[in-house]
Amino acid sequence: MAACKSVSKMNSTIRCLNGCCKCVVAAPSHPRFFQVALSRCVSTDGGNGDPPKFQPPPKPVMIDKSKTEASHRRFLSPEFIPPRQRTNPFKFAIERKDMIQRRKIIDIPEFYVGSVLAVVMADVYASGKSNRFVGICTQRSGKGLGATFVLRNIIDGQGVEICYDLYSPRIQQIEVLKFEKRLDDNLMYLRDALPEYSTFDFDMKAMPPPLPGAEVPINQQKVKMKPRPWSKRWERSRFNIKGIPFELYFTEEELTHAKKWDTPWVEYDMLKEYDTSNVEKHIWTEVQRELSK
Amino acid sequence: MAVRSCRLFSWIGGCLTKRDLICGKTVNINRGPCWFFVRSVKSSTWWDEHLSEENSQFLRRLIPEEYNALANSKLCPLKDEPWPQQPWVEGSLRVGLIAVKLGMMPVWTKSGERHVVSLLQVEDCHVIKYIPKEEYDGKSAALFVGGKVSSPFSRSESLLQMYRDAGVPPKQKLSTFKVSDNAILKPGTPLYAAHFRPGQYVDVTAKTIGKGFQGVMKRWGFKGQPASHGQTKTHRRPGASGPGGKPARVWPGKKMPGQMGNIYRTSFGLKVWRINTKHNIIYVNGSVPGHRNCLLKVRDTNLPTRMEHNKNPPFPTFFADGEEQLPEDLYDEEMFQFSEPSIVYS
Repeated sequence: MAACKSVSKMNSTIRCLNGCCKCVVAAPSHPRFFQVALSRCVSTDGGNGDPPKFQPPPKPVMIDKSKTEASHRRFLSPEFIPPRQRTNPFKFAIERKDMIQRRKIIDIPEFYVGSVLAVVMADVYASGKSNRFVGICTQRSGKGLGATFVLRNIIDGQGVEICYDLYSPRIQQIEVLKFEKRLDDNLMYLRDALPEYSTFDFDMKAMPPPLPGAEVPINQQKVKMKPRPWSKRWERSRFNIKGIPFELYFTEEELTHAKKWDTPWVEYDMLKEYDTSNVEKHIWTEVQRELSK
Repeated sequence: MAVRSCRLFSWIGGCLTKRDLICGKTVNINRGPCWFFVRSVKSSTWWDEHLSEENSQFLRRLIPEEYNALANSKLCPLKDEPWPQQPWVEGSLRVGLIAVKLGMMPVWTKSGERHVVSLLQVEDCHVIKYIPKEEYDGKSAALFVGGKVSSPFSRSESLLQMYRDAGVPPKQKLSTFKVSDNAILKPGTPLYAAHFRPGQYVDVTAKTIGKGFQGVMKRWGFKGQPASHGQTKTHRRPGASGPGGKPARVWPGKKMPGQMGNIYRTSFGLKVWRINTKHNIIYVNGSVPGHRNCLLKVRDTNLPTRMEHNKNPPFPTFFADGEEQLPEDLYDEEMFQFSEPSIVYS
């Protein structure tokens, strides 16, 4: 809490150091008044006479200096990380065995939400008994064998989203055409974006595969939207979207109105904390060991 | 000392009136001495009331270790011969198992269809007691089977004696299976998941998840009333309770709010997709009543259309020390195994 810390003399003017409040008070020689004026100086009002806004203290950021950036990036597919439940961890171990067995047969590459994939699936009704679909990955959900990912593309003007099971035996090949990440974990807002952001050519050439230790390239693209109303109110903080330039579509008033649905306390909720770093390490070593057998 | 103090309390209890004692329910003033409020040493005590802290900690550590050792020593040279095994005959009932519900998982068939299965793990399942036909109900014999191992503390002596006679540590769940005379087993026989085979059908009984006292909308699926348009204090109520003047009463069994869940229910005709003989896990189709880590009673199905799939099972049960060496995983013929290549339609 910033407080008026420096005072030259008891009898002189008291001035705030942090500069947010402009109180300059001539202090008489009474010691009591000194204390009272100090407490008043602490208020962080904008000078309008509004009630003071609560500025939450900044959350401490732990920077682990022991790990360097150049170390090998270890990728563990998110469906291996068990959810925080009352299930016996033995059940997850049994499921992981099946997942690793499937990964030995088919190569499930590393990909993120925002990468463009091509999936070849066995289909009874297609000519040649298999169909190929290219699209951008909009969501990855599910844990264990039931993990899914959704690919989106626009074909002949019609938006198409297909949800695939990662471990389904009907999938014959998964190929990453563009390996990148986006600013968000969930790209459902592409449904309300202009069609050019969801169209991908079926004959798109594959990018060269990423180096094993390299960082994932993050596409900083901000997406232009169709006129409102959208399918969901993407400006609200519960979606936490960074990939839409809201300033182009909302006035200042509307943005402050959207802030009413903010839940800033969720960041500090200790019961929601789930530190997966140790679990990830164990599972990563286990998966690497089994895959190399 | 404790006995004398208890006697003192019972005397005081006799002298106190309703006003002096705090009781939750209304008590008849003319009742006799309130000795039932008082516990005497001879009636009940808990297992570590008279033990020192050290001793009770020692027992808590020792007992599970001993039980684990007992469970792991499957071949004991001092054991007697098992009872004579008879071959399977159409119409004979064999024993079931007690399993722990681990969770659920998807499973795919060779044609690419997706089904969900529940994983049931058979942990330390033993036959505890044999009750002959005459003592049980005159029609069929019964076998008591116990599930997961639990602590011997806070249990009645008669129950503990029954476990001692079988030579088995006390179990968390004890259930009865009606069994035909050619399928009886000796008390103390361990039961494994390989008792069931893939492709057969089972019935699973367990206590459903308890939801407590619930209203009529959640419990019976009533539609309730509209949220607005003038409803006064009536949004989730049952509404009318019956016809009117002719019966002029409410029928017995009328659906009303009350306790929901925490009762025994059975799922019938569930197909077994896979058996893991190493960890004793049964993969059973669909969902099963109960929460995760609850204890279930699994038996061969009663449904007449599914009983033809249960022909020639391991009878009376699967014996681990027999000649048969099973592979680690037994799969149903229709199930896709992850070691096979991806499905290709032709």
